[in-house]
Amino acid sequence: MEEVDKILIRSLRLSGTDIPDEVQSVREFTTELIVEAVVRCLQVINPSVGAGLSHILPPGMSARFRIGISLAQACQDLGYQGEVGYQTFLYSSEPEIRRLLLFLVEKLPRDASEDAAQPVGKSTALHRAIATTIKEQLAVPWVPPTCRTPRLQLLQGSCLLKQFQARPLVLPRESDPSIGKMPPERKEFFVQFLPPVSAQLSRPACFAPSLLEQNMADLCTDQDWENEWKNQGLGSRMTPEEYRQWKHQRLQHRLLDQLRQAAPQAGPAPQGGTARDLTQFLGTFGAGQERMGALDKGSRFTHTQHLAFKQEAEPTAQIHTLPVSRTSEEELQERQAAEVEILESELGRLVGQIEEIEGQLATLGLTLTQVEGEVRQRQLGVTELEQTLRVKGRTVELLPDAENNMAKLQVVVESSAQRIIQLAAQWEKHRVPLIQEFRELKALHDSKELESSQRLLEIRELHERIRSAADEAKRKDDLYKQLLLELESLPKDVSRSAYTQRILEIVSNICKQKEEITKILSDTKELQKEINGLTGKLDRTFAVTDELIFKDAKRDEAVRKAYKYLAALHESCSQLIQTIEDTGTILREIRDLEEQIESETSKKTLNNLEKILNDYRALKQENTALLGRARET
Amino acid sequence: MELSEAAQGGLRLLAEPGRFSARAFAALLQAAFRSLLSGPAELDHPDLEHIDPAILKYCHAAATTCIVEAGKHRAEGAAISSYLEDCKFDKERMEQFCTEYQKNKDFLEVLLGSVGRCPLHVTDVSWRLEYQIKTNQLHKNYHPAYLMTLNVESSDSRSQPDLNFSCSMEQLQDLVGKLKDAAKSLERATQL
Repeated sequence: MEEVDKILIRSLRLSGTDIPDEVQSVREFTTELIVEAVVRCLQVINPSVGAGLSHILPPGMSARFRIGISLAQACQDLGYQGEVGYQTFLYSSEPEIRRLLLFLVEKLPRDASEDAAQPVGKSTALHRAIATTIKEQLAVPWVPPTCRTPRLQLLQGSCLLKQFQARPLVLPRESDPSIGKMPPERKEFFVQFLPPVSAQLSRPACFAPSLLEQNMADLCTDQDWENEWKNQGLGSRMTPEEYRQWKHQRLQHRLLDQLRQAAPQAGPAPQGGTARDLTQFLGTFGAGQERMGALDKGSRFTHTQHLAFKQEAEPTAQIHTLPVSRTSEEELQERQAAEVEILESELGRLVGQIEEIEGQLATLGLTLTQVEGEVRQRQLGVTELEQTLRVKGRTVELLPDAENNMAKLQVVVESSAQRIIQLAAQWEKHRVPLIQEFRELKALHDSKELESSQRLLEIRELHERIRSAADEAKRKDDLYKQLLLELESLPKDVSRSAYTQRILEIVSNICKQKEEITKILSDTKELQKEINGLTGKLDRTFAVTDELIFKDAKRDEAVRKAYKYLAALHESCSQLIQTIEDTGTILREIRDLEEQIESETSKKTLNNLEKILNDYRALKQENTALLGRARET
Repeated sequence: MELSEAAQGGLRLLAEPGRFSARAFAALLQAAFRSLLSGPAELDHPDLEHIDPAILKYCHAAATTCIVEAGKHRAEGAAISSYLEDCKFDKERMEQFCTEYQKNKDFLEVLLGSVGRCPLHVTDVSWRLEYQIKTNQLHKNYHPAYLMTLNVESSDSRSQPDLNFSCSMEQLQDLVGKLKDAAKSLERATQL
């Protein structure tokens, strides 16, 4: 019973009953404790039922009875089979209470333990984390602002907070797939001029946010590229670099088309110019920073590009002069402003010059093309005239001997016709094997294509599997971590193995006992059988003897006497047997009664009777008091 | 914890014993933590002189990114080591990284925790009772009102002005009730 009580008490504690540590078994439960335990269990099992019940026993007797009755009713509603009434709670007996508590504990919902086996969702985990953090923070006492450590200052103040401000950082990457091979100028810039990431920002406070943002942005780009490559890139059967270039070109073309459509009003000559500038402009898109020096021509687009670029270049210049001359900031700013002004005025001048020269260039180019066209036309006319001149010259030469020359010409024509036929035959001869080869190659190509598409499918499947496996692994890892945490947080006092060991022992004991019982049962059956056989034999022997002696008894006196003795013997024997049986039953009854006495004594009847008497008196007092009050009013 | 391809590449370079000797690694690690926690740091340690500056800067950026990300995820030593193992770090360097991280974890948490914003913190409250006898419009207007002043925590340089308002008793009760509600729901949030 001790173990049962331990388990019972543990479950009751889990359900929220405040059981003092010194209570070790159900025997030591007081009435208050019983009521509290039952009410808590009921509250957990069925909150709507439990809500109406108080777990504290009221002082008034009648209120106590009412609580007892309602508890008994609630237990019966839950399906408790045994006998239950207010007396169960108020005048408790150990076995009854144990049975009732066991029933209630059985009924307790097992969600909590089942939940532990299931993976907890992300949101619940997050909620829990939030709850623990809030709890921790609530446990920290408030400290005046001047006495705070930086950590406390974060928790309880807002002074240290800085806004999330991210600035772009330049990473000296060795090679970048989206840019391609690094040009030497860039390399030089990285080696000599680029400050380390921590010194690239004017305000150190933005450093951590900038790093986070940079990492996140890079991560997103990587993932986007991966997705695209898996979905479309693989299908295009190009290497990643080729695919990138192809995409870049396609984008350029499309942009160009769009811009052209958007500006149809512009004249034909400037349009050509814009298109050219556009290609330059778009070219700077892909590798903007790389082509810093490449922009030496001026137009509206390139100028804006130029300006934007200038702004970009200045901070870097500023950065690497910073460590060299540590002059005061204002001076530096002034100087910078002056410099900027000078540079801007110079820029304006240069831009003006460039525009002028460009206008001149455009007009000159136009005249040049016109003149070139004229020249070409004239040249064409000249060659035509020369051709006709030659033909006419030959005809004039051949005219004197017309007949002969005609014949000769005929011959020449025929021979050339024959040569054409020969050549055709030869061509045919060459063509047939070539066509054959072409077909073979084509078939080969087709088969290869098929193979490659199959491979492609396989690769895609593989990618899919990799992703799912990675997801699965991640999920399992998370689950593992979480379960580990939960395991750590679980109470250590529950030694599961010990319980199972005990249960196994108990089960084996029960098995042994069952065997013994069956043995005893079979023994009893055998005995019964033997007894039956013996009584039958006795009856039969008696009948036979009786008959034999009875036959002779009519003739012989001695035999008659013997017969009488026999009858008497039989009678006394049966009486004896009867007596033995009676003793058996009486013994059994005695044992039953003893058991009953034991159980009655365990029910603390005397105690309970005294209690009942006391309660009865209290009730009477209450009643009289109430009556008195009623009369007074 | 996830790092971009660029940062991973930097860490992989950092893990190569041929490029970074043990002392250079230690120096770079120190510099990375220093640059995060105490402002810009120069990479001019004598142990780092013989390494290509571009690579040095690149690895420095990668290391700082890794540290910041680990701080962001509140990663424990085991998680960091497993991640670094994927970047081919050997055991010694992993341990070095983790011990350095543990040493600076508190500062790192403060640093990352200070990114953000939150409403002003009220540090104190004072009140006066005002009794209005009459107004321009009303000859008799016996109404009490509370003049409340909420002292707001002021950062050292630009101090925030205190909050002043006046309210009737019901409004004040409402405010107090709301505050109590807020406190209670915070309590409730902890009991999950």
